[in-house]
Amino acid sequence: MKVLVLLAALVAAATSIKTFTGHQVLRIVPTTEEELQKVHELQDMEELQLDFWLAPRAPGHPVDIRVPPSSLQPLKEHLEDNDISYSIMIKDVQALVDHEQTEMLQRPRQLVLSTDSFNYDTYHTLDEIYSFIDLLVAENPNLVSKLEIGRSTEDRPLYVLKFSRGGTNRPAIWIDTGIHSREWVTQASGVWFAKKIVQDHENDEGLAAVLDEIDIFLEIVTNPDGFAFTHTENRLWRKTRSTYSGSTCVGVDANRNWNSAFGESGASRNPCSETYHGPYPNSEPEVKAIVDFVSNHGNIKAFISIHSYSQLLLYAYGYTSTPAPDQKELHEIAEQAVTALSSLYGTSYEYGSIFTTIYQASGNSVDWTYDQGIKYSFTFELRDTGYYGFLLPASQIIPTAQETWLALKVIMQYTLEHPY
Amino acid sequence: MQGLSAAPPAAFLLLLLRLSALLLPAAAAPGAERELSPSSRLAAGAARVALHYLNFQTASPGTLQALGQVRKATVKSIPDSGHKYYLQFTTEDYKSGENARSCLATVLYPKTKSPPVVNIKCMQSKDQKQIQEEDNRLYQKIRHQTKPITGNNIPDSHGNIEPVLEPVWALAVAGSSYIMWEKSTENMGYFMAQVKSVKQWIRKDDFTEFDYTILLHEIPTQEIISCHMRLTWLPGHPLKVKYFCASENQGLEDGSGMESGSAAGVLHEKGPNF
Repeated sequence: MKVLVLLAALVAAATSIKTFTGHQVLRIVPTTEEELQKVHELQDMEELQLDFWLAPRAPGHPVDIRVPPSSLQPLKEHLEDNDISYSIMIKDVQALVDHEQTEMLQRPRQLVLSTDSFNYDTYHTLDEIYSFIDLLVAENPNLVSKLEIGRSTEDRPLYVLKFSRGGTNRPAIWIDTGIHSREWVTQASGVWFAKKIVQDHENDEGLAAVLDEIDIFLEIVTNPDGFAFTHTENRLWRKTRSTYSGSTCVGVDANRNWNSAFGESGASRNPCSETYHGPYPNSEPEVKAIVDFVSNHGNIKAFISIHSYSQLLLYAYGYTSTPAPDQKELHEIAEQAVTALSSLYGTSYEYGSIFTTIYQASGNSVDWTYDQGIKYSFTFELRDTGYYGFLLPASQIIPTAQETWLALKVIMQYTLEHPY
Repeated sequence: MQGLSAAPPAAFLLLLLRLSALLLPAAAAPGAERELSPSSRLAAGAARVALHYLNFQTASPGTLQALGQVRKATVKSIPDSGHKYYLQFTTEDYKSGENARSCLATVLYPKTKSPPVVNIKCMQSKDQKQIQEEDNRLYQKIRHQTKPITGNNIPDSHGNIEPVLEPVWALAVAGSSYIMWEKSTENMGYFMAQVKSVKQWIRKDDFTEFDYTILLHEIPTQEIISCHMRLTWLPGHPLKVKYFCASENQGLEDGSGMESGSAAGVLHEKGPNF
């Protein structure tokens, strides 16, 4: 619409000197040749400083005029004296310009200049999250660094944020979100967690105590190929985007691809299935990158994989009903974490082993990390319980992240206080 | 795990057996009723099946019920019949999460390939009048549209549902509850993931009629199943649902040996029900 184009031009102009406070845009529709002539004559009244957005053409065609405040009264009187009716299209041009400018600055698709103006209550694209990561690091160079731990099947970088107060190869806590790309509230929560750590790392006693001795690693988009696909093609895509000869189907379930009871009950050997475990363990570069990282680091003490939905806090095992040796302790930690989570908004969670609480799942991350000796290995299933499921409204991102953070802090603090 | 050189102690083995019995559906001796942990997936699954059935039978898009918490669950193996679950749980208002009410239900998963047999009784938290009002409100919203209602991707990628499409979405939940109830087994559960498309058919009588393509989320397979559903509704009357679900994966088989169902070529119809 022409008005918007002109408005944009005004915005450009407005950013420099001029202001349009009190200016109005009037619309006249001349119905006769006489009226048209009268409107033509207005153009000659230079003292009025009228700005014709739509010039007079023919009877029946609208004429739009921007009128400075000082000319409003005289012009309206002139029109009324000549029996020319008009309507007020824009009551205050500056107000509209201001609103449009604010909109343009806030709109998530526009360039965001700091993590303070980033919208945490909306879902973002991969590019926006990667930009956020760079901004966060730039703003907090003494606490945060970005590691590239590998590249995806489609050659996208796999980024991990490291939060550290220093030291060398300190014990560490690992958190990943978005391994299943359709679980959008998880990547969104990961972004929020990153900002939260940066905001609270000095003033929050619990977090400060953790960071004094322990590093935190956070992989926000664990499956970037899948995530990009959920934005462009299929919002409900779960797997990676790898292909293997022998099948036209795409993708491997990254949480069935780990080397723990790989290929046993609780995963599918059909490449077209959503729980396809892949041709062999760690076939997926997204998974191998984490496996290599964890193995090379050698000092990870807690490993937390975040999924949605179902509102569950789970620990090993998924591949078997056999209780994990540390089942009692893990159950107690889970109970404390869930209590903390529920305290904020009353969100209720169930907790227990993966096998008993959700379903049998083989080749999953937490079974592998647990059997590697990372005792405090947990999987979260965030909001909700099926009402919106994967399509959780953006308005629930922050409440979800806030309550989950309380549970994460319980696990992190427990890890700090119970070294092994 | 590499083979252990020594056999595990007998007590540990016994504990293992007991625990496996608790978790695997097959193990109970006929007639024996065994207790399940309220947080067990089998208990939650059975409670959800009962709720699918309730939501369809109640035929009230304005007062759909969601699962609150399972309080108590036991299961019994009935010879020549199947596994029967006895459940005590709370439900809450689907939309607001409030109005918790208590329910008692039995869910029998038959050995044959037929839908679960459900008996459910819940405490009434809203009176009939309130329920009627809610449904009438939704009904009027639909009737007041000047053009046949159509829509796509409800909710959208960001979880938004346009206000004008809310009643139509709630109806989809009520209608798909019928599909989900019929398809549920002891090991296979469903959620309605999204309304892919909806188109209203205008009728001469007072009934509202819609054609839906809905997406069901199947667990534990994680598959997204596309179903076509034709639904008619008038407040105070039973829901009429006809459906046809596409079979997502031909010849799907997985390590746990579950069957994949296919409704290809079969149209299920459920008419008015007393």
